[in-house]
Amino acid sequence: MSLLIQTQEEKFLHRRFSDYYSKSAVGVRGLEKREFGFGGWEKKIEFRHLAFRNEGELRARLVSEAPLYISHSVAYYEFPDARPMPNKNWQGSDLIFDLDTDGSACGHVCGKFTCQKCLDAVKADAVKLIEEFLLPDFGFSKSELAVNFSGSRGYHVHVVSDAIYDLDREARREIADYVSGTGLSFERLFWNEGKKFFGPSPSQGGFGGKFARAFVSRLSDDAFARSIALKLRKPEEKEKLKSAISMGNWDNIGITNREKKLSEKFEEMKLTMAGRIDANVTADTSKLIRMPDSIHGGSGFAAKRLSSPDAISSFEPMRHAPVFKGAPMRVKATETVPALNICDHSFGPIPSGEARELPEACAIYLICKKAAVIA
Amino acid sequence: MADLLFCSHYPFSSAAKAYVSERGMEIVSSYVEKAEERVREAIVSGKVRKVPALSEAQEEELALYAIARMIVSCANNRYLINRYAVSEAKKTSDYLSSDASARPDYVDAVAAEFGIRFEKDGAHFLVPLGKYLTYTPRSTDYKLANREVSAGKVKVSSHERIRMLEEAVKKKIERELPIRAAFPAEVKAAGARMLALLPKLEATVVKVGQENYPPCVRRMIEELSLNVNLPHTARVALAIYLVRAGVPTGKIVDIFRGAPDFSEKTTHYQVEYLRTKGYSMPSCATMDSYGACVAECRCGTPLNYRANVHGRALKKEEGAKA
Repeated sequence: MSLLIQTQEEKFLHRRFSDYYSKSAVGVRGLEKREFGFGGWEKKIEFRHLAFRNEGELRARLVSEAPLYISHSVAYYEFPDARPMPNKNWQGSDLIFDLDTDGSACGHVCGKFTCQKCLDAVKADAVKLIEEFLLPDFGFSKSELAVNFSGSRGYHVHVVSDAIYDLDREARREIADYVSGTGLSFERLFWNEGKKFFGPSPSQGGFGGKFARAFVSRLSDDAFARSIALKLRKPEEKEKLKSAISMGNWDNIGITNREKKLSEKFEEMKLTMAGRIDANVTADTSKLIRMPDSIHGGSGFAAKRLSSPDAISSFEPMRHAPVFKGAPMRVKATETVPALNICDHSFGPIPSGEARELPEACAIYLICKKAAVIA
Repeated sequence: MADLLFCSHYPFSSAAKAYVSERGMEIVSSYVEKAEERVREAIVSGKVRKVPALSEAQEEELALYAIARMIVSCANNRYLINRYAVSEAKKTSDYLSSDASARPDYVDAVAAEFGIRFEKDGAHFLVPLGKYLTYTPRSTDYKLANREVSAGKVKVSSHERIRMLEEAVKKKIERELPIRAAFPAEVKAAGARMLALLPKLEATVVKVGQENYPPCVRRMIEELSLNVNLPHTARVALAIYLVRAGVPTGKIVDIFRGAPDFSEKTTHYQVEYLRTKGYSMPSCATMDSYGACVAECRCGTPLNYRANVHGRALKKEEGAKA
């Protein structure tokens, strides 16, 4: 079982990836209990059910095979290489959040070359996930969170904690649904008591509190306030409403149709309150996920592990994730390459068919994107 | 806690186990008879009777509980085990409700059996997120997104606290049974008699286009026939599939007859509801996220699956992997 190497580009990447693995530390917590998967030019996971006893064994395999993609299970198994799956004897899993840009934050469509705007947007999503959900709501500590760049166009947050270790798929699906606001219902957060109308207060946990806080803060926007009730243009009326909401009393809105109006605001605001994650990844207890600090074969960038969750704010994928610093090389574009900036080197656009000499990280990026060949 | 009252209310507790192992327990015929009656009632009516407040009755309760478990183990049938677990859990819930005001420390002690600590918060309770997700039923009432979640804790009402413990007891009994051991002949005979209480399933459940049922659907039907408690999401998906595949409601209800908490009326209503709402079939990706996908047939949605197309590709791929 080994990955077939065919073209000269593949040969080249194989050599350079192998160099990288011979020099870098590889490993993951609970390595001997994880299932590994390797992928090549055609498929991100071509072989799975692989297991290694220790870091030395894993590194030896990575140096000799230098796969384009390396993934490990989010799960810990008693027998990680056993097949079929039930024979592995699942013991528990990390909780994973996968954030990926869909390449639309920039307004145009990025295609394979994710633009800076989209990378910034997905970074903001990751920060939001951590600061508005994982820490305050779920109560994880920063030391339980391991954040890494995905190597391509997103981030992975691994939660390693006894609190979630043995949760099944359905429980994890609930967590994912919570973050993405799936199943969120106005009727369950607001209720009538006689003629009174109650709802969440800003101090309470969960989406109710999130909505109450966002609502109160948006009241200072006059257009928003007016869209609820005309009288709210007066500051004293705003204050009266705010203080009522602080007690969970949403009755004090002198408007007809208050439920309908509030529920419209709720529907409109829930999208901005929710996080953007791939719920299927979070729910999957046997998912294979990119090994942190391994190279992503679709970019030649490292799935860079961040030193702490806070480090994400200063992390710049196009600057900090490329790993290859070898001699410049000549590549020929096989499609139009847009203007790019990798490791502070600006280049492009390059018309299809034209050759350029580029720093190695830039050249490898284009080769991995299958947008250039060695000239 | 050698508190006989506590032990008789919660015979699954470690305190009750310790009480029994300290004093020893004899399996006498009269107990076996009563225990058999207890199991029968649990299976047929879904209830286990409460214990009279007499110390002899309480001691007896511990013996009956133990023997009832042996009888159910001898019957060794998933439907009977799960149905029995539901009944015992219901009884626990009754006790917890009354003990909550009279003997609140009892409720704490039962929660501790499952490693749960409920923190009082006004009229409510706070429970750690992981325990909440493990021990609440998966229904819209308990949807996490509509819950107050803060600092890793979820707010629940006093009623919901007891509902969680009921679920915990049910899961514990389902997990522990059957006990594998050599039991006295009398107990074995009682176990064998319990099999007569099984609902009668039709041999061939559905005929319509069955050859084209995808592996996930086959698996769910098979699990139901083995009395596995399928998660709600899987049940809905299966029902939608069958509705879409043109299976009449009566036949769909028959397929669900194996579910340990089966209720003819509810199932009939729910299937009809799905039919009138015209829900669309979850895609394969969604099925996978439910944990219901069992093969890579690449059919996109289970309804697209055709044995002579995807089934063949599947076999080929499996051959290549092996």
